[in-house]
Formats: sequence, C-alpha cells, structure tokens
Amino acid sequence: MNVIKGFATTFKHVLEESVTLQYPEQVRPFQQRYKGRHHLRRYDNGLEKCIGCSLCAASCPADAIWVEAAENSDEERYSPGERYAKTYEINMLRCIFCGYCEDACPTQAIELGHEHQLSFTDRRDVIFTKEMLIDPVPAGGQDTPQQVAPGAFNRSIPDMENPK
Amino acid sequence: MNQLQQKYQDRITHTLSKYPDKRSAVMPLLYIAQEEYGWVSPEGIDQVAEICDMDATQVKSIAGFYTMYSEKPKGKYWLQVCTDLPCALRGADQFHEDLKAYLEVEEGGTTADGMFTVEHVMCLAACDKAPMLQCNFHFAENLDMDKMKVLIEQWRNEVNQQVNGSR
Amino acid sequence: MVKIYIDDREYDVPAGMNLVDAAKWHADNDIPVFCYHPKMEPVGMCRMCLVQQGAIEKDRATGEVVLDEHGQPKVRWMPKLQTACTQRVTDGMVIRTNTAEVDQARQNVIEFLLTSHPLDCPICDKGGECPLQNLTMEHGPGMSRMQFQDKQHLDKHVPLGDLIYLDEERCIQCARCVRFQDELVGDDVLAFHERGRRLQIITNSNPGFDTYFSGNTTDICPVGALTTADFRFGARPWELTEVPSIDPFDAAGSNISLSIRLDRDFGGKAMIKRVMPRQNESVNEIWISDKARFGHHFTRSENRAQSPMIRNANGQLMQTTWEEALKSVASILKAAGKDVAAIAGSQMSNEDLWALREVMSAVGSTRLGAWPITHAGADLVAQVGVGVGSNLGDLGKGDAVLIIASDLEEEVPIWRLRLKLAKERGVFLAVANARHTRMEDFATACLRYDYGMAAHFLSNLRAENPDLAQQLAQANNLIILTGAEGLSLDGSRALMQAAANFLIETGHVGKPNNGLLSTFPGPNGMGQYYMGFTPENTQDIMINPPKVLIVAQADLYHDDPSASQWVHEVETVINLTLFADETLSHEAHTILPIQSFAERDGTFTNGERRVQRFYTAQGPIADALPAWQVLSRLGEKLGRGKAKLSAATVMADIAKNVPAFAGVTYKEISNVKRQFPDVGGRDLYYGGTAYQNRGGLGVQLKTTAESGEAINTAPVELVNAPRSQAGQMLIVPTTVLYNRERTFLPSALMHPRVMMPYAEINSADAAKLGIKSGDVVEIVADTMRVRVKAHVNGGAPEGSIVLPRHLTTEAVPMTMTLGRVSKVD
Repeated sequence: MNVIKGFATTFKHVLEESVTLQYPEQVRPFQQRYKGRHHLRRYDNGLEKCIGCSLCAASCPADAIWVEAAENSDEERYSPGERYAKTYEINMLRCIFCGYCEDACPTQAIELGHEHQLSFTDRRDVIFTKEMLIDPVPAGGQDTPQQVAPGAFNRSIPDMENPK
Repeated sequence: MNQLQQKYQDRITHTLSKYPDKRSAVMPLLYIAQEEYGWVSPEGIDQVAEICDMDATQVKSIAGFYTMYSEKPKGKYWLQVCTDLPCALRGADQFHEDLKAYLEVEEGGTTADGMFTVEHVMCLAACDKAPMLQCNFHFAENLDMDKMKVLIEQWRNEVNQQVNGSR
Repeated sequence: MVKIYIDDREYDVPAGMNLVDAAKWHADNDIPVFCYHPKMEPVGMCRMCLVQQGAIEKDRATGEVVLDEHGQPKVRWMPKLQTACTQRVTDGMVIRTNTAEVDQARQNVIEFLLTSHPLDCPICDKGGECPLQNLTMEHGPGMSRMQFQDKQHLDKHVPLGDLIYLDEERCIQCARCVRFQDELVGDDVLAFHERGRRLQIITNSNPGFDTYFSGNTTDICPVGALTTADFRFGARPWELTEVPSIDPFDAAGSNISLSIRLDRDFGGKAMIKRVMPRQNESVNEIWISDKARFGHHFTRSENRAQSPMIRNANGQLMQTTWEEALKSVASILKAAGKDVAAIAGSQMSNEDLWALREVMSAVGSTRLGAWPITHAGADLVAQVGVGVGSNLGDLGKGDAVLIIASDLEEEVPIWRLRLKLAKERGVFLAVANARHTRMEDFATACLRYDYGMAAHFLSNLRAENPDLAQQLAQANNLIILTGAEGLSLDGSRALMQAAANFLIETGHVGKPNNGLLSTFPGPNGMGQYYMGFTPENTQDIMINPPKVLIVAQADLYHDDPSASQWVHEVETVINLTLFADETLSHEAHTILPIQSFAERDGTFTNGERRVQRFYTAQGPIADALPAWQVLSRLGEKLGRGKAKLSAATVMADIAKNVPAFAGVTYKEISNVKRQFPDVGGRDLYYGGTAYQNRGGLGVQLKTTAESGEAINTAPVELVNAPRSQAGQMLIVPTTVLYNRERTFLPSALMHPRVMMPYAEINSADAAKLGIKSGDVVEIVADTMRVRVKAHVNGGAPEGSIVLPRHLTTEAVPMTMTLGRVSKVD
C-alpha cells in the first residue's frame, strides 16, 4: 500500500510542470528588490548623480567602498553642485550586498541592480572602478565632464520637497 | 591728499575736529562721500577709509549697516516712501504704487533721466502726516498724487535751472 | 573662589570666571554655544547658551541667607533666560541647564538658525565635525516647520582671499572670524555687511583676507561657511587619521596635527590631506600660521630624491642600493682621515643631528657646522633662555618684552600673535629695529637705531635710553627676543651677549617667563646647538674647506651666493637631501635621499628649548630613509657599534651623552595633561576643530641659570658694522614668511601670496639714483648679482637696501654687506 502511495507522489510530479530552469540559457525573472551589483546613475542630461560625499563608504559595514572627491567647475562639470567623485571603487569581494550604501545615498546615485554573475579569476579584477559602475550616457545626454553655463547646476542635491 | 579731501577740505577738517579720534568721524564723512558721488561708491569708501585711517572693509560695513547710506547709484532725488502699517492704513501703499507707475520705475529703480529713485522704507516717524516720503532726507508730508505731481515738476525745474544757471 | 550651583549641585570656581568656561571646566557641563569662544570676548549673539539663572537671596540688613518654607535657601530667579556666555560667576549664582524651558529655548534657536541653512551636509567639508550638525542632533527639533523653498539661495563660492572661501548660505553670522581677525590678529579685514537676513561676511580690503593666520578662521567657524583652498573636498573628516606633528618652519615649534588618508594619486599610500593646529597652551595655544597649515606640499614634491646615487668614474650620477652607497661613503670617510666636516640644516631632527655627530666622532672630526649662519648665540639661550614653565600667554601687567633686530611677523608669526595679545593684557612691549616692522603697530614703544648697531644700542641702553632701560629692568618678568636682521654673525653674537648681560644684571634669568629668546631659522635651531653644531664652525668650514664635506638638509647654493666658490674646493661632497634638484647635486659625489618630518619619528627643540615630538604620518617616498637611520648605519660601518633601530633609542643615547637632555625620553615628551580651555574634545562647538593634544606637550630643557650655576656677564665684543659710503649701499637681507625656499615653493596654492623679488629703497636714495617704484634694479655685492623690483617707500632707512632672502632664485647674502645698486633699463 505504502509503495503505491509513494509512487503516486512520484507520478504526480512527473506530470507537473518542471521548476528547473536551464541556466544560463534561461534566467529566472528577478524580484524587483533583488540586490545585485551596484550601478552609479546619471541624470537625463548625462551628469552623474554621485556627488562624492562618501556617505556610502561610511555606511558600508564591510568597508568595501572607496571614494575620493574633487571640485567641479562649470568648465568641467561631472555632477551638479561643487563636489564630484574623482575615484569611486567597490571591492566586490568585500561587498555583502546589504544595500546600506543605497540607503545612505542622498542623491540616489548608487543603486543595487540585478547583475549577479560576479565570479573572478584574479583578485585584482574584483575592484570595480567608476568607469565599470557608471551607467552609459542616456539618449540625448552628454558625457561627463560637461561644459555648462555658469551657475546652471549649483545645487548638489536636487530641490527638497516640503514635509507633508 | 585724495579727491574728497581736496574738494571738501574745510568741511572735512571741521568734521574731524569735532571728534577725539579720526575713526569717530567716519559717518559724517560717508555723508560727504554720498553727496559727492550720489551714492557711497567704492572710491568714496576708499577715500573715507584713508581719511579716517581705517580698513576699507570696516567702512563698507558701516555703509552697509545704515539705510541712509546708499550703496547703489541713485537718481538726483531719492524718494523713500514709508509703507509701514500706520502709513499703509492711510493709503501709503497705493500712493507708493501710483508714484512708481507715474514715474515708470520698479521698486528701487531710477527713472531713465536719472532724476528719481523710488523705494519703500520702514517707519520715518511721521505717521500722523501719512502718506509721506523722504526726499534726500527732507520730509514731504500729507501727500497724494496731485501734490506729488506738482512736487515732481518743481524738482525737475530746480535741476533745469541749475543746469541753465551753470551755463 | 566662589560657590555656584549648577543643576542643583554645588561647585567652587574662581570668581569672575566666564560661566560657560566654569560650567565646562569645573562641572563638566557643556553649555552649547556658537558665537562664544574661550579665546575671545563674549558677544552673546547666537543665543544658544541660554540658561536659567538666579541668585541665592540674602537679607539686605543682616546679610543672612533667606530660607524658604522648607528651610532651603531661597533663590531669586531672573524673569527670563540669560545668555551664559556673557555672565561671570559670582558667589551664590544658581544655574539650571536641564529644565524644559532651557531645552525649548535651545530647540528654538536651532530651528531659527536652520530656517535658511542649506541642506549641504553631504558635500560640506565640515560635515562630521560640525558644531551646528552636532548641536542639531543634540538639541534640535528633529522636524522642521519651515518651508524648504524659503531658504535663501546665495553665492556658495566667494573667495575672501587666495586661501579661504566663503559659502554665504552656510554662514550663521556668529562673527567668530570677524572677531578673530579684529581681537586676536589685529587685522580687521573681515566685517559684516548689511543687516537682518541679508547680513553677510565681507572683505573690502586690498588685498583681501590675507593675514598669516587666516586658516584659523576655518577651525573656529561653527559651520562650513569658511573652507580652505587646500582641503576643499579633500576627504570627509571621519575618514581622516590624526597624527601629531610639529610645524617644520619656524622656531616657535607650533604643535600641529597631520590629517592623513590613503590616496590613489599618491600610490595608495597615506597622504597629508590637511594640517590642523594641536592644542599646546604654552606653545601655540590653538593657532597656527598659514605657512604651517598650507606649506606641507614639499613633502610630496616631484623633486624629492628617490634613491641613493653615486658618481661613477665618468662623473655621472648612478642609482645604487643603500648598502653600496653606505659602503662607498664609509670608505671615502676612512680615506679622508680627519679632514672631514659636516654642515647640518635646521630642519634636521635632534636624532639626525646626534647620529651625524656620531659619524663625525667615528672619523675623529669635530667640525660640526650649523646652517644657515645668520643667528649666533644659541649657547646664551641655553644659559639664560626663558625658564622652564614659560608661557607667553601668562605675561601680563607689569611684565615687559623687548624685540630687537627682528621682523617678528615674518620670522615667527605665532610669537607675533601671542606677543600682540600679551601687549593687550598690559605687557610693556618695546620694538627696536632699524626700520618699521609690523610688530611696531602693536608696540608700546618703538625705537630706532642704525643698521648694524643693534648690539651698540642694547649695550648703551642705560646711558642713551634710561627711561626704557628702567622700564625693562623694573619689570616683573622680562623677555628679550632677538633676531639677526642687519647683523653679521659676529654682530649677532654681540647682540645676544648684550641681551644676556642686561638680563643677568637685572636679575631676569633662571625664572619662568624671564630670559632670552631668538628667532633661529627653522624648527631646530636650538637642537643644532645642543648637538654641537654651530654657525661659527660653519664659517670656519667655509674659510678652510675640508677634503670631505657631509651636507645634511642644507640648501647651500640657494642660501649663500659664495657657495660656488668654497664648495668647489671640497674634494668630495656627500649630500643628505630631500630634493634631487638642488644645485649641490651637481657637485655631490653621493646623494643620500632622506625623509621629511612627515614620514618618520623624531624631535625638534624649539626656540624656547622645548623638545617636542613628531610622529610618522605620510607614506614614504621611494627609497628615502630617515637621516638618523642612514647615519646610524654609516656609523656602524665606521665602527661605532650596532646601528640604532628606532628614533627613540637614538634619543636614549642623546639623553645619556648630552647633559641638557639628561632624563629626556620619548615617553616623557609624549605626556599630556588637561589644558584650559578644553578644545577639540567631544564638543567642537566650544573651541573649534583644533585637535586635542594626544601626542605630547614636550619637555622644556633647563637653562644653566636654573640648574643653580652662577651665571656671569661677559664683555660684549662690539663689531663695527659697515657703513654706506660713496656709491656703496648697505644690503640688508631680511626674512619674509612666504618665499621661494625649496621647502615652500612646492605649495602651489601659496604662489599668489609669494611676492615677486623686490628690494625696498629709501626715497632719498632712490631720487639720487633716479629709481622709481616698480623699476627693475640690479644689486651687485661681491659674489651676488640679482635683479629685483624696487619698492620706494618708507621701508628702508637712508643708505640701505632691504632685500628679502629667498625671493630670488639666485642666492642673496645671509648677512649684511656692502653693494652697488643700479637701475636696469
């Protein structure tokens, strides 16, 4: 009797749709809030959102982020306001993908995306530089550094809204 | 000896003689500079600083603090209309607007001929005679636009006469 | 002492103390402040320090304390909250800082300040060490009732000078910077403009905000309104590591803190991001000069010597290893027998100098020269210098200071700042020089003598200036501060002796705040003397050049126009240097790269004979090693025993062998104690961002006068100074703070502040020679020929030309000489 019961379970599953995916040919859709590798975002005009404030590095529990800042000018503008990230590096071996950097960011410049294929053959390859992290320039935008009209982008942080 | 000292030698000497140290004379001297240039101009500040033996920064600071010194070029007649509450209750607000419209100037602006500058000020202590204004530190009281037009004509003539007279 | 009550507890505090200071120092109660600063007069502008204040009621007739129904003393409270910073403690004062009313008041003040403060914290250089940020977290309302759109948008980048930028939005109008310039520095080039909500800090001076102390305003600024051009966006404060160090430029030995952080562009090594003051109330309080703050770039100059080099048979310098280089130097020294001499610069640490002396004794030579050869008489400072426990900040009414032959603001700016304040506390400050100097603006008495006659002037003080002599003699405490302007080395010695004699005769020696000070160039002028290096020896070396000369951190060609002549006679030059591009490198047989003060441990002995320690901060440059290590290893090769492994063990050796250093250890130098006022602790709002002293307050060496030995006067050997004569004028080399020395030039941000080469000429002389202000003139004296711009003003006395050193690329004589001046068409 038990044997029949057991086989019944087996046959039931044979007829069911398979849950196995043929990775990497097939990829399961990601949850919206999945935390994969980081992206540095740009505004529509191509300016970098990152202002080099280093708060992501400060909030990082694994000490994986390294930021060095420098001063913007209207002739050579990377981001709105006075400050931009000259160096931005994330050590993916250290990163624990907790997303604290995302939370700390005052301009929503850093976001954890859905890329998860992060295996390496050389330890030196795990340091992701700014060039590797930053988004491509959006259509209609311009790459940084940009030459802009004086005083056009003098706020680091986009206008705040009133408390509701 | 700088330009101001040359032109107003007697007045400056007299002013300086009234105070124990030069520094104290800075405010009367700024009035002289304002009179000369029509406003407290940078060259005026530098010269006053030189006379008083002060740093030009301190002189500018004083000129900036007191509203009776103007740090912007002004017309020949500087009309300051009081629009504080008691005056406003007697129509000073409307008077101020009408005056600006009549002279075709913005707040703080100067007429194209360089004659009049209109701006509003805080209380001038003449609430009982509102609407009123202060023209080059002299009061004109109990005004309305009719009276004002007469006054403006008068001031224009004054200047014309001066110009003709000097010819 | 009076009794006061803070939050219902009783404290004994000195009468008349400022209430904020008293609460902090005696009751450990931090009353929040923005505008109040313990080093400045209170103004009560920011209202942050509101407290509930009352007094214990006393019966007027009997003087008895009135008791309430519970038998407790009755307190009469003020009807409204009072600003603590404008109160001085009195007997029976009762303060409450923890009531709901006080909390509400603090919250309101913060909310008010924030109505128009930008939300800039993520990019603000002050973010993380910001009094406004901290006090908002502590006392702020948490929520804003204000409209964000109402915030004023003002200019965020206003240069007040070349070094300081103002962000108008961030300023909270506390006036600390304005008051600092006015009260402490005495250059009132900052002021408020307009009023109310439009109030702003401005400067309308020409040039703008350019005092030698401008950087200090960024430390005391309670927000990020003032930032330095050097550090702007360099790093976030919490990422910095603080390393205690010593200002490497002047005799004051200001305590500084090097803020370091790893840097990609510096090869991933630790790099100095900024220089901050470190509190030492006896030395520099919490202030440093802009030269100390912004002059650190030479440590990373691209011209830093990278590796040891030896000249090969073809006369080319070839890179080599340390082992090879030291072996070669050792064999050169052995071959030279005793015909070896050494010249050491004043940026060498005590340890470096001692190790060099060890090498020299290994070869049996005592020819130890100090560089530069401008100031003599360090031995007299060791005898009758200011006593242990001296503090220029303690001088007050009844005390006197004589400054002679020195342009103090240019030579030791921190002493100028502290003596200016001393004068305001009532010190009799006399300034004697042959020309007008900035110090005269603050002096009680100004005196003139002819150039070269400083020693004559001081020797004959009693006869020729009896009033002044009496003022000085009768002072409770007397300090004589000498320079060497317009003097030869012999003349400098005569002046020092005359000063020492005056001090000895009037009994002003062997006590704190009494004695002799001198503006020795560099941070370790006294260390040179204690280790046996003297300028007189150098003079002898220049006259009788040895076969082998070891030059250590001395830029001979840049300092001395005659160098090319006498260095040429030396057969082999061994150059321990920071920089590979020195002219001496062309002559040197061996170049040994050494480390600057920032890369290693060591100690300097400042003008007040305080041995102070600096620590390793910055990453090393290529193969460079500390000089003491190089020399100690060389000593080993010459048979002086095992090379020392740390600077501390070298100091142990010094303590054993140099009597004045007996008992001095690194441990003792590193001792710290609580200093008033408490600056740089958890409450940055109180004293600013100057660092607390964690690296050590140093040890002041005893003078001979203090050790109980009898000190006698010695005859002053007056030197007849050259006088200007037919066609010849006196060329007077002087010191300017910002110059083109190799240790300062790499600080590019200071370049706008370095003057074009100039000479000051008296108008009478100028008329005779047909020179107008701005003309280019050529000045020729025996080995020197320079072209500079003439400044015709009251600066120079008739017959003399004031020619600042180190502004020209060609060397200017170190001491006064005769020369000719002609106009260049």
